[in-house]
Amino acid sequence: MSGDLDSIIDQAAAWQLASAGDDMDWDGFTRWLEADPRHARAFDELELTADRVEAHRDTLMPAALPVAANDEEPIAPARARGGWWRWTGGAVAAALAVAMVVPRFMTPDPAVYVTTGQSRTIALEDGSRIELAPRSRLEVGGRQQEQLALAGGAWFDIRHDPGRAMRIRAGDVTISDIGTRFDVQATQDSTRVAVAEGKVEVASAALVAPVVLARGTALQIDPGNHSAQVQRLEEAQIGTWRSGRLSYSNAPLSLVAADLRRYAGVKVEVPESLANRQFSGTLVIGDGTAALRDLSRLMDLGLERGAAGYSLSARSR
Amino acid sequence: MESATGLNALFDRHRAELLRFLRARCGQDQEAEDCLQELWIKASQDRAGPIANGRAYLFRMANNLVSDLRRGQLRAMRRDRHWIEAEGEVDAPELRPDPGPLADAALIEREEAEVLAQAIAALPPGARRALQLHRIDGHSQAQVAEIMGISRSGVEKHMAVAMKNLRSALVDCGFFGAAGSQQQGRSEAAALRPDDMT
Repeated sequence: MSGDLDSIIDQAAAWQLASAGDDMDWDGFTRWLEADPRHARAFDELELTADRVEAHRDTLMPAALPVAANDEEPIAPARARGGWWRWTGGAVAAALAVAMVVPRFMTPDPAVYVTTGQSRTIALEDGSRIELAPRSRLEVGGRQQEQLALAGGAWFDIRHDPGRAMRIRAGDVTISDIGTRFDVQATQDSTRVAVAEGKVEVASAALVAPVVLARGTALQIDPGNHSAQVQRLEEAQIGTWRSGRLSYSNAPLSLVAADLRRYAGVKVEVPESLANRQFSGTLVIGDGTAALRDLSRLMDLGLERGAAGYSLSARSR
Repeated sequence: MESATGLNALFDRHRAELLRFLRARCGQDQEAEDCLQELWIKASQDRAGPIANGRAYLFRMANNLVSDLRRGQLRAMRRDRHWIEAEGEVDAPELRPDPGPLADAALIEREEAEVLAQAIAALPPGARRALQLHRIDGHSQAQVAEIMGISRSGVEKHMAVAMKNLRSALVDCGFFGAAGSQQQGRSEAAALRPDDMT
């Protein structure tokens, strides 16, 4: 009488959305529930679904996810495809002008990969491989799989193809001219690119001009501190998370904490006063709390467990 | 009389409507009456002070009570299921060793997060964005409409797509367990009640 399950779920979703508002029609809702016992069932399921989304919010939407419309040129949001997935520029615009008639064919929907507790390997059609770190997200779009967007961490092993202009957007940077193996870590606060083999070009609003990174170098950009620095790194230190270790040389503590959260799943607060203390060394990820204990010992910091996770503090002597 | 706060007085005035709502929402009279009782207790403890629209406030409280109840039932069901999955159904319950409920709960939570993450990733961009703004960032429907530059009914459509897909993902993977049998269990319990009394 009141339609199939699909339309029942639609109605239930509308009531659920309305029920959060001040102008909810509770009498209308009561009558809708009374009309068919399946209505209450559908509403229950949507409430449980919402509860599960809420319960997993930290893993579902990593803090590192860039948020649309704040950090990009203003485009009418309703027109934008895919929120933070937005590639604009002369070449794309020109291509669109030609492709207007069959836009679906010319710009296929990007494939989206999301990880929670485990990393996963993504193979591109040309044989390139990407290892997506835990609690990260990668979008692969473009006809040649040449438009990538990363939030979180990933190890890239990309075949060099001069005929393809691959670009990877990650945090505050755009990586191009790629033919190499390199590691990218993009969080809300900072972005790191480290090259183990070959070279890449990195452009960013934080840089006056694009930087070419060669083998054994890393670039770290912290927009908050207005800092960007290039550093030499042992190749063996790059992408070590893949073998269960995190290696650092002179890395700010805030960054180590962000990594521990992503790779070891432990939440740790770093007070402002310690955020820029530098750490060099290797942590074993396997047991997150053990890694954290090692870190606190190596740096002679206090470690406390609170309701929301752990916190590091300067040791009073 | 003086012990009745504003909310309690409102409760008395709207008691019949609230019960009717709870009956429709629970689909079962006994549960509805239990919820009404709990609502009354909550209303008498409420120290929120003057409320703009007390009637809507009570309905929302009632609605949340039922959602909380279902959440608890889901948790209980998952615990039960783990007993069965871990040990099979052959042994009498008292012979079963402790199945380690914590480890099981962690496992099911992880699987559930994975399923939800995949379902969210597969959403159309608009639905995904609306879901994030509303359910994760906690913006109201009107705020989501403003942020996305679309109408409120546009938000409604996006949210329907998002919630429908996530619900299917969870139901298909059995995360709500034997949802139908849960309902059944409830009516059985209700049917049993008169016998208990004799």
